[in-house]
Amino acid sequence: MTARSVLRNEWRLLMADRALRIVLGLFAVLLVYALANGVVWMRFQERTVEAVQTGNVERTRALADELAAIENGAEPASRFADPRAPNVMGGARGSHTAVLEPGPLTALAVGQSDLLPYYYDVNIYTNESSFHQNGEVENPLNLMVGRFDLTFVVIYLLPLLVLALSFNVLSEEREQGTLALTLSQPVSARRVVAAKLAFRALLLVGMVLAASLLGILVTGGFGSPGRVLLWCATVVTYALFWFVLAAWVNSLRRSSAWNATVLVGAWLVLVVVLPAAINIASGLLHPLPSRVQMVTAQREASNEAVNRRSELLARYLEDHPEMAGGVVAEEPGLGALAWAATDAVNRRLEEVTSEHDARRAEQIALVRRYRFLSPALLAQEVLIDAAGTGDARFAGFQSQVRAFAEQWREFFVPAILASEQMDASVLPDVPKFRLEDEEGADVARRAGVPLTVLGALLVLAGVGAGVGLGRVRGAD
Amino acid sequence: MRHIVRKEFTDVLRDGRFRWCAILVGALLLVSLGHGWAQARSAQQEHAAAQATARDHWESQGEKNPHSAAHYGIYAFKPRLALSFVDEGVDPYTGTSVWLEAHRQNDFLLRPAQDATAAQRIGALTAAQVLQHLVPLLIILLTFGALAGERERGTLRQLLATGIGRRELAVGKALGIAGALALLLVPAALVGAAALVVGSPGPAASPLARGVVLAGVYLAYFTAFLALSLAVSAWARSARTALVILLGVWVVNGLVAPRVAVDLSKWLHPTPSALEFARNVEREMASGVEDISRPDRAALTERLLAEHGVERVEDLPVNEVGVYLQESEEFGNRIFDRNYGALWDTFERQGVVHEALAVVAPLLAVRTLSMGLAGTDVEQHRHFATAAEAYRRDLMRRMNGDLAENSRTGDTYLAGPELWEETPPLEYAAPTLGWVLGNRILSILVLGTWLVGAVLAAAARVRRAEVG
Repeated sequence: MTARSVLRNEWRLLMADRALRIVLGLFAVLLVYALANGVVWMRFQERTVEAVQTGNVERTRALADELAAIENGAEPASRFADPRAPNVMGGARGSHTAVLEPGPLTALAVGQSDLLPYYYDVNIYTNESSFHQNGEVENPLNLMVGRFDLTFVVIYLLPLLVLALSFNVLSEEREQGTLALTLSQPVSARRVVAAKLAFRALLLVGMVLAASLLGILVTGGFGSPGRVLLWCATVVTYALFWFVLAAWVNSLRRSSAWNATVLVGAWLVLVVVLPAAINIASGLLHPLPSRVQMVTAQREASNEAVNRRSELLARYLEDHPEMAGGVVAEEPGLGALAWAATDAVNRRLEEVTSEHDARRAEQIALVRRYRFLSPALLAQEVLIDAAGTGDARFAGFQSQVRAFAEQWREFFVPAILASEQMDASVLPDVPKFRLEDEEGADVARRAGVPLTVLGALLVLAGVGAGVGLGRVRGAD
Repeated sequence: MRHIVRKEFTDVLRDGRFRWCAILVGALLLVSLGHGWAQARSAQQEHAAAQATARDHWESQGEKNPHSAAHYGIYAFKPRLALSFVDEGVDPYTGTSVWLEAHRQNDFLLRPAQDATAAQRIGALTAAQVLQHLVPLLIILLTFGALAGERERGTLRQLLATGIGRRELAVGKALGIAGALALLLVPAALVGAAALVVGSPGPAASPLARGVVLAGVYLAYFTAFLALSLAVSAWARSARTALVILLGVWVVNGLVAPRVAVDLSKWLHPTPSALEFARNVEREMASGVEDISRPDRAALTERLLAEHGVERVEDLPVNEVGVYLQESEEFGNRIFDRNYGALWDTFERQGVVHEALAVVAPLLAVRTLSMGLAGTDVEQHRHFATAAEAYRRDLMRRMNGDLAENSRTGDTYLAGPELWEETPPLEYAAPTLGWVLGNRILSILVLGTWLVGAVLAAAARVRRAEVG
């Protein structure tokens, strides 16, 4: 009896099982539903990104038109919105929206993309509080529950199906009395189980990968082959972990019912209980600092700043001599005074924020250690990171926007301090945001440790299964 | 029957698997209750302190034109209600504070979930999650073999031969299992009640009454699950089949249906993108919409002059600027009501999709009721947001009114601390129990139907259960 004949035999047996055919059909339907959800969401984000970029172009054109009209003798539409004033051209009217395109595989993993903002208006008033935004309009109830995307199917449902197909892969043979017959052939228990599981793995993993590749094809994700590879590798490793776990439990030579109980218990503990327990533990041991105090701190900083504008300007000019060209210190303009106050508020905000962010980073680093306990958490992390919808990509975007806001200030603030006017000739030189998106290699580097641990868990279960199956005899 | 109850009860307690599962679930329940309580309490204290500081800033802003004060505005912080420690609901996904300022209705900002990580999103565990997900699983594990197992072992025939009726046998088994579960749940409920009495984390209208109804909701849910499991156990050919079916029910109930509801609700009732929404408000604020038009300054001046029979705005007995600002404010309010009202209504319709799917997954009905009673659902967030917005509008009316009445057009006018102190602070009254339940008729009906249906199904299945 060869592995091939085992495979052929298995195919016939599985396809003869009506209940199984229904379950597999249902799984296919769920895969398609999940994929459709993801594709719709990605298209929605793409349309928004396009509208944001059109907005940038339109704002610049409106400014250029009005500046040209003023040059030809027209009066500015409003004294407070004179586009020649640098605090108007570099302010809300001329602001540039920095935008993050949806992650290349968003259709497979919505991840954090429904919660975190993916575009920010940048102007001279951008400061730390500008990053406190809600992101996309979304029902909080929907955010709480989470999306039915392919990642959800892979993390939660795929293992259940794997277990349903494999919990009795060996125990059934014994219970039906066919084990002795099978093992009387020149084939080891290891080979038999491996062939049976390989067949099931091909079937299930094949379905998931086919759905994934279809989604990637439809949404053009093949432009990032590294991410696609990482996604597929993670799906395969995670699914194999559950198959091998089933083999291990089967090798313990207990009844099918016992196997089922233990495997369902393992799923429950690894996928549901542990991630939740980890969150409770981390909340207890390393509570997240609250943002509420920041609101108060910001308020106090701006109250103080308004009262001490001239003093603040003097200090500002001391700190930033490069910005000081043309400022008459004895007779500063209103714009310069206002800017000094704005800058003082910003700096106070930065202090409060950096304290908060440091505590948050510490907490997250501690929480991340516990994720090695749960293959589900490891797989989720790598899957959404590969999709480009994980925390890291959003954090990277935010820090680039911060740098861009600084660049923007460097362009406009000297003119504000010098009470200069600007004209249409500067428009082409106004900074534009260009995202340096993370490379496949960056993602792969981040995925290195979690994927290795996941692989190690797989190998561990594999060794257990191999040793156990080596002891299985036909006479059991 | 007393014997059966007692036998089932001791059987369950002696079962090592039950003991371990119960210890695990009990520990998770107690820890999540304690953690939720401590967290809700510190959040509420922090919000109350921030609210007091905000009031302080408002009162100590010095001499100012009332319109400058209106621009300065005040922050409102959402209170954590008393029962939110049992079920934090959507609170991590709604903002915690809003800036109430002149001319615009702002969004609630600072969502706690934005500060957390993706991993924390998949595994938030509150007492409500334990009750909604893990306790039903425990019920399934205890019940799937109750009748199917006895039948498989051939002991069902013996039992019935002793003259006991099938119904008595089933009721006895159910009571025995319920008794074992009570050992786990009653102490947890008492701990929860004690936490509420000893140190209520926050304000709420009638927290104890809400707590009692909440306990009733979970009791109905567990009873329905117990009856359903018993029905399947009586019907299934083998204990294994019963377990597989019940686990399938559990997966659909707890995992598949809730998420299906999310995307389904979005397909049926789409929300605009944040960009579209903001641009719409901006456009309508700039040029009005339908029958809502921007107040006309020149027409207002003429009307005021004619009303008071004077020639120049300086001679008016009121400050024209104050009157105009208030008219603009009211124009803006109509635009905000239109846009935010439509958005909230869409959220509410999406919520109804979740509630309706409770027909296939009772968890959805229980979750809705649980969040409603805990005061952490979308509707009660809207309730607070509406109260905060009403407060903003009142504040603006007072500022503009003071400007209009106590100064003349063209004056340099500064108001003092008396005006700031005269403005009442924001006092929020959480909705009553009746309001909450009135909004949740659908979920109450569906949960009730599940309860009655499951009990009837169990009765029917037990009557017809095969002996061997």
